[in-house]
Amino acid sequence: MAFFAGYPLIYTIVFFITGKKADSKGSFANRLVKLLPYAYALSATLFLGLIIRNIYPDYSLKNISEQFQNSYLRIFGLLAILFWIPALHRKPILSLLHSLVFFFFLLKDIILHITSSTSHEVIINDMKIYTDSLLLNSATLAFMVFIYTISGILVNKK
Amino acid sequence: MKLLSNKTLLVLLILVSGYGYIISCTHDNSFPPPAATTGTKYTPGTGVFLPGNLTAGNANEWKMDKAHSSCLWQTNYIGAAGLLTGRFNQFGMHEVLTSEMTLYPAPGQPLKDTSWAFYENDDSKTFFNGYVQINTSNTGEPGRDTGCNIGNLGTVKISNYPGQYNLQVGNLAKIKSTNIAFDPTTGDYIATFILTWQGKLTSPLAKTLTGRLKYIKRATIAGTAPYDVFGLQLSFQFNCRDFGVTSTSVGDKIEIECNMNFNNK
Repeated sequence: MAFFAGYPLIYTIVFFITGKKADSKGSFANRLVKLLPYAYALSATLFLGLIIRNIYPDYSLKNISEQFQNSYLRIFGLLAILFWIPALHRKPILSLLHSLVFFFFLLKDIILHITSSTSHEVIINDMKIYTDSLLLNSATLAFMVFIYTISGILVNKK
Repeated sequence: MKLLSNKTLLVLLILVSGYGYIISCTHDNSFPPPAATTGTKYTPGTGVFLPGNLTAGNANEWKMDKAHSSCLWQTNYIGAAGLLTGRFNQFGMHEVLTSEMTLYPAPGQPLKDTSWAFYENDDSKTFFNGYVQINTSNTGEPGRDTGCNIGNLGTVKISNYPGQYNLQVGNLAKIKSTNIAFDPTTGDYIATFILTWQGKLTSPLAKTLTGRLKYIKRATIAGTAPYDVFGLQLSFQFNCRDFGVTSTSVGDKIEIECNMNFNNK
């Protein structure tokens, strides 16, 4: 959740800010929208890095299986790495749909809190993780914009 | 994506996020445990107890005597019957940082028990940290201790890491004090602290709790090489459902009693 739950808000904010300018090819707004899936894929890559770091130095099958205690969710999260593939990144909506699965867990806890069947501390914990996710996804998007801009400058110089 | 539907989603996300932040920014009232008596007014002594470097033979440094300490739990069996009790075989008084949440070779304490200080009459300087290894829970029934207890508490068996202590995040519950206040009506201390435990959740939950910290007065043990001892007893309770424990074999309320003995040998 810490890696993916904040992406939907970043995604919708980018689309809101860029508005109809996102449709005009070559514009900065259009490039920003196109970079969203790459930023999401970068978050997934960082998630993979965290899993590898937790496994280190014991790479036995037993230890790897323990890292995947919520196996379906973690494997689903790792699938976001596929957004590095050009065929998938051309459809930014897919990255939004993928991330909404993780946002659902936050929504579920808030709904359970409204119905008073979950404690206050769970929401506090969830919002801390959600804030970290917002910051991470903002940072990955900013990083991708930076890399794209730098590479554009270098290509133009040549 | 069409602009209109994107705006709808944006509004929905902002509403959900905003509501979550509003809830998380409010605080529940926390109440200290009720006083045992309302008559006598106690005053704290002047004792100062610090671990230092745990140097053997240094009488100014207080060492946690793990062999004579205990960390106990109890709860109502199936929430309604008599008490189900147990203890954690492995515990310590160290602030386990994220970088320290790993495996350590047994035997011996994996980390130095130095993350505490106790000043009888200076609450602002008193603090404590503690941890237990969840899978060392001992109820006297090996079938439970290596079976349902492991799954119900979200950890792994000791046999998964033979000869090692498992202080990884999934097997670690830790407490860290945030405030200590002397209670003049009982002579004990009201301790506010954070319990951090993953349990059956996807990530550790940090929950603020209140407990009673009792100081067992310093005493001298006579002998050819006399030394001093003192004790600290922390009692508190928490709701295990907050940590994702769903087993109906245990009640919602888990009571914990940590009895730490120290000496200055």
